[in-house]
Amino acid sequence: MEIGPILSTLRRHKITAFLLVIEIALTCAIVSNAVFLISQRLERMKMPSGVAEHQLVMVQMTHTTPARDAMARTQADLAALRAIPGVKDVTLASQVPLTNSSSNTEIRTDPSQKLPTLNATQYFGQDLIRTFGAQLVAGRDFRPDEYLDYAKVIHNLDLVRTQTSSVVITEALAERLWPGESALGKRIYFAGVETRVVGVVKSLVRPSLFEGDGGAQWSMIFPLRMDVNHASRYVLRTEPGSRRRVLDAAARVLRQLDPHRIILEKQTFAEIRTDYFRNDRAMAGILLGVIVALLTVTALGIVGLASFWVAQRRRTIGVRRALGATRGDILRYFQTENFLLATIGIALGMVLAWGINLFLMQHYEVARLPWIYLPAGALALWLIGQLAVLGPALRASHVPPVVATRSV
Amino acid sequence: MLKMTHLSKVYRTEVVETYALRDFSIDVKEGEFVAVTGPSGSGKTTFLTIAGLLETFTGGEYLLDGADVSGLNDNARSKIRNEKIGFIFQAFNLIPDLNVFDNVEVPLRYRGMKSAERKRRIMDALERVGLASRIKHYPAELSGGQQQRVAIARALAGSPRLLLADEPTGNLDTQMARGVLELLEDIHREGATIVMVTHDPELAARAQRNVHIIDGQEVDIAEEPRFHADHATGSHA
Ligand SMILES: Nc1ncnc2c1ncn2[C@@H]1O[C@H](COP(=O)(O)OP(=O)(O)OP(=O)(O)O)[C@@H](O)[C@H]1O
Ligand SMILES: [Mg+2]
Repeated sequence: MEIGPILSTLRRHKITAFLLVIEIALTCAIVSNAVFLISQRLERMKMPSGVAEHQLVMVQMTHTTPARDAMARTQADLAALRAIPGVKDVTLASQVPLTNSSSNTEIRTDPSQKLPTLNATQYFGQDLIRTFGAQLVAGRDFRPDEYLDYAKVIHNLDLVRTQTSSVVITEALAERLWPGESALGKRIYFAGVETRVVGVVKSLVRPSLFEGDGGAQWSMIFPLRMDVNHASRYVLRTEPGSRRRVLDAAARVLRQLDPHRIILEKQTFAEIRTDYFRNDRAMAGILLGVIVALLTVTALGIVGLASFWVAQRRRTIGVRRALGATRGDILRYFQTENFLLATIGIALGMVLAWGINLFLMQHYEVARLPWIYLPAGALALWLIGQLAVLGPALRASHVPPVVATRSV
Repeated sequence: MLKMTHLSKVYRTEVVETYALRDFSIDVKEGEFVAVTGPSGSGKTTFLTIAGLLETFTGGEYLLDGADVSGLNDNARSKIRNEKIGFIFQAFNLIPDLNVFDNVEVPLRYRGMKSAERKRRIMDALERVGLASRIKHYPAELSGGQQQRVAIARALAGSPRLLLADEPTGNLDTQMARGVLELLEDIHREGATIVMVTHDPELAARAQRNVHIIDGQEVDIAEEPRFHADHATGSHA
């Protein structure tokens, strides 16, 4: 192809060519970063919770005054909720995945350790593993006799300090604490308490993600019974297809049993997930908008400049046709020209993309841009460039050769 | 080389139909140097554009190098223009963004010639027209006469059998015009067939044969002795 002559022609239209190259470079840089940010958000939104999401519903309530006999109240609630048709299991959970409140603690694998090993979250609740549908991959669930009342324990920590209590942890936590070993029988220490791992679940996400989401799966479950004065969320596991009905029935039952309580929230887990990732979805949407807008503006810029050049070179195109250029030659000329401009822009854009990513990494919690996004961005811009230039290039190819002799 | 019989060309616009050529016949033999003269608007350029396959015609027959060209598709016509025909225009029609070397190279590239071969031919052609030292110059940096000589080099580089020139000296002063004509005579002597449209009776007189066009038809010069006076009206009708 006639790359040499095209380049020398472009050199004689430096400023215009330069502006287009810059536009392409900026678009390439911003689009590759934006696509990366979107993919990260989408990745986050896919985060597994470890619970049987499509079967779970949650009712959150609050009491205007503390319940008198909280544990009796709770057991009555649980019995009534369990009696609702379509309910398989119920728990009063201290915390629920993908909601924004969590209780976390620093743990050690050796009581003499100066610094804690890491920070993990703690779930309490009777029958919590079964109700959540968390999948046991090793060991066992708690025996009924292992459960203690949370209210009693917090008023008298000696209840747990004098004996070793059981804990079930996630696979991720087990692997982090004892890489390559079985966690069963291992000890975890915190706040003067010694616990022994009796079971491992595949996954259970920390309610509020933090530490750059790295410790998102560091969760522990303890055999503690919650009561309505210390926990506010009933989680119900339902038969397929009965979530809505169970939710309504559960709220009604709870209100009947104690008119002093207020139902704050009743949600299926699907709604909980949607709520939790609302910001991520909005951000992904905004970024997508930015990408579309940028690509559109760049495409229009290419169409505009190419149209201008075709009009300006009409005579020259006629001369080339007279000298033997086919329509295809003319079409290819403009496509090659665009390809060259795009390539220079893309090369610049890649450097710029990398720079933007470095800036984002320094100032925001953004990971390093994987290299694969660069060729992806390049491909997108090459494609858009070729598509955008196609119209003007086709028009150019239809300039009749007789233009060489006629127009002056 | 070039044979037209009862050829017609009609330009249709919304309001009028113009017969630019009407029942037009001409036979240019291989190796001839023909000058075409005629009043402004008589159809000289039209004849040349049809002869050079820049435009199609409405009726009649045209044989180029013995072959009927009416059924050829656009690509085939481009190929013939590229390989058999050299064009020289009144307005030079160099590509302003390319230097002298690149301008001469244009038709050779469309022929798909190897770079070394192109370079040899370009330098030969520029040598012929005396501009080998100006290969890096852009058209705007050359005089009119030099530009036309570059255009001639461009037409020559592909060694065409037929050279078509539409008032090649129309934009040049007498001195430069003479230089250009001498160049064409050289080329003719080497065997090319040349058809040149001109308003200049002195130049026309130096051709082997004159063809006079009036109102889209070829006329016998003996019947129309005053055609020399027409060159003063320069615009298209
Ligand atoms: N594209 C066109 N559309 C309509 N009419 C045209 C077109 N091109 C040429 N004509 C008409 O055809 C006729 C012949 O034009 P042509 O350019 O061949 O004349 P010419 O002999 O070359 O004139 P000049 O000496 O002024 O260059 C003129 O009447 C002109 O107006
Ligand atoms: Mg003319």
